[in-house]
Amino acid sequence: MRTYLYAGTFESFLTALSLALERPEECAIAREGGAAAEGGLFSEFIQAGADPARAAGMRDLFERQGSAESWQHARFAFLSEAAGCEDAVLAYARLIKERGPAADDLLADDRVKKVHGLARSVGGEAHMFKGFVRFKELADKTLYARIEPDHNVLPLLTGHFRARLGSFNWIIHDARRGRAALYCGGRLIYAPITQEKALEFDGKEAAVQALWRHFFKTAAIKERTNPRLQRQNVPLKYRANLTEFE
Amino acid sequence: MDLQEKLEILANSAKYDASCASSGSNRAGRGTGAAHQSGVCHSWTADGRCVSLLKILMTNECVYDCAYCVNRRSNDSRRASLTPDEIAGLTFEFYKRNYIEGLFLSSGITVSPDRTMELMLEAVRKLRNVFHFNGYVHMKVIPGADQALIDQAGLWADRVSVNIELPSDKSLQLLAPGKTKDTVLRPMHRLAQKIAAHKDERRSIKSSPAYAPAGQSTQLIIGATPETDREIIKLSEALYSKMSLKRVYFSAFIPVMKDNRLPALREPPLLREHRLYQADWLLRFYGFTADELLDESHPALDLNFDPKTVWALNNLDKFPLEVNKASYQEILRVPGVGVTSAQRIIRARRAGPLALEDLKKLGVVMKRAMYFVTAGGKYGGVKKETEEAIKVKLLEHKNPNGQLNLFSEKELVKEGLEATVTGQL
Repeated sequence: MRTYLYAGTFESFLTALSLALERPEECAIAREGGAAAEGGLFSEFIQAGADPARAAGMRDLFERQGSAESWQHARFAFLSEAAGCEDAVLAYARLIKERGPAADDLLADDRVKKVHGLARSVGGEAHMFKGFVRFKELADKTLYARIEPDHNVLPLLTGHFRARLGSFNWIIHDARRGRAALYCGGRLIYAPITQEKALEFDGKEAAVQALWRHFFKTAAIKERTNPRLQRQNVPLKYRANLTEFE
Repeated sequence: MDLQEKLEILANSAKYDASCASSGSNRAGRGTGAAHQSGVCHSWTADGRCVSLLKILMTNECVYDCAYCVNRRSNDSRRASLTPDEIAGLTFEFYKRNYIEGLFLSSGITVSPDRTMELMLEAVRKLRNVFHFNGYVHMKVIPGADQALIDQAGLWADRVSVNIELPSDKSLQLLAPGKTKDTVLRPMHRLAQKIAAHKDERRSIKSSPAYAPAGQSTQLIIGATPETDREIIKLSEALYSKMSLKRVYFSAFIPVMKDNRLPALREPPLLREHRLYQADWLLRFYGFTADELLDESHPALDLNFDPKTVWALNNLDKFPLEVNKASYQEILRVPGVGVTSAQRIIRARRAGPLALEDLKKLGVVMKRAMYFVTAGGKYGGVKKETEEAIKVKLLEHKNPNGQLNLFSEKELVKEGLEATVTGQL
């Protein structure tokens, strides 16, 4: 079976998707260097490259032939970085070519359910992180936050924080992926990032954190203690970067 | 007294207010902060309740002596106050670190209702005008304060609220001397009028200022006084329809104070609170009326079953429902079907008829719904469906080891208590 390899960017994925859709027979899409890119005896691997025109064509496919929400479903499913998400989007795209906007109504169809489910999971985590991002003020007044989300939700968070903290400089660092969104002087850039030395915090930072932790502890009602419910809402995996659980 | 100690005292006094929502407003603009239409929870405390606002009292001094209240005058507790500057500064520091969506400001009554309201307004005005803060603000309105002061609250806050606390005049007289139904309902009515008038005005003049864009809410204490669930749900229904309230919160009574006018409860009635929230949801999103859920001969919600299941069991003649034909409103009334899955059913059946197996994929909780639906004529429930037979089956699902009627805390969590106590709508 033919497998198209993409470099990891959304544009390269869309290029691979476009190439795969042109072939009538079944094929696969895999991220270069990922587990799915390991070859079997009968596999044929092809580098998809990154072609802006093909990528734009794919956006067009979802927006024009799909329903009003198809493009977002495809984009969010890709951001899930879940194993097999590429092939799920490919199957979804084929269905859209075949059924048009009605594809998104086939909610009990496994192809649709899979992509909708991935997209919902990404949207859900992005919403959670609108609440879970915790900034710390650095000595130069930049606000710095470290996150480790399951999905690649960083691109879905920047607009939210730009609207709120537009008059500050801030960094949201996805430590799991080694990438950061840097917002400085009103400009936003994404960049790979590694942390080489310990952060230097503003003089007031520790005191504000202590106040917050104190408030957080006090706000719980002893008679209603329910750690299970708390765990359900703030899974342990997220707590390492939450100031109130430090 | 340092800031940390004050914060502890004032957060401790404010935490019994159940309102946590930061939803319903999309305030934005230059400066810092914005509100999010659906609200954002930032954390959850050890009791599983969400934290989205810095919920504090301005002061816990109070001239009133309400029996249920931890801040009552005759209670020998530590007292503290925050200045408007401290409140605004603290909110801003917390907000910029994304700890919170904004401020929830309530207060005990210091000196007089007017003086208290003035100071609270000053704090919020500072936050808006000096810090240029566009985040969410929920402001309590102090009953008995001058109308001109109450009117201002809606200009600065996203949401305003007056707590009824006790669901009847008789209970208020007993437990909250100095308050009457009238002193509580008058400001509520006034705010409802102002909100409606401003909304009207904004329809024709877009630039006119927003007035409490996230509307008004209130809270009722559950279990401190003898009101029935029916009285409470009827009152909520009236508040939604006559006062256009956005939310009525229920707070299970926690005996923080010893007083011989109060019942001696071993633990707060959390399950009852949960059932009331479920009933409240049915009123607001499922098209039920209070009279359908409870009548004079059944004034209490069943603790074993959720109120929708109870209604369905009492109306078996309306079931089973064919999901491929029934209207959205009818589907909403099936136990195990929520708003989302009902919408999915309507959408998915446009593309083709649904089978029973499909329903689970659409998010329907089949272990409850199976007794009440057919799909393409197929029925998956018990053969001769009678109320008793279905009840026994439903209870088996709840207690696989066969213990009937035993309700545990664990069960509550499974049922989704979180959805009702942290619900952002």
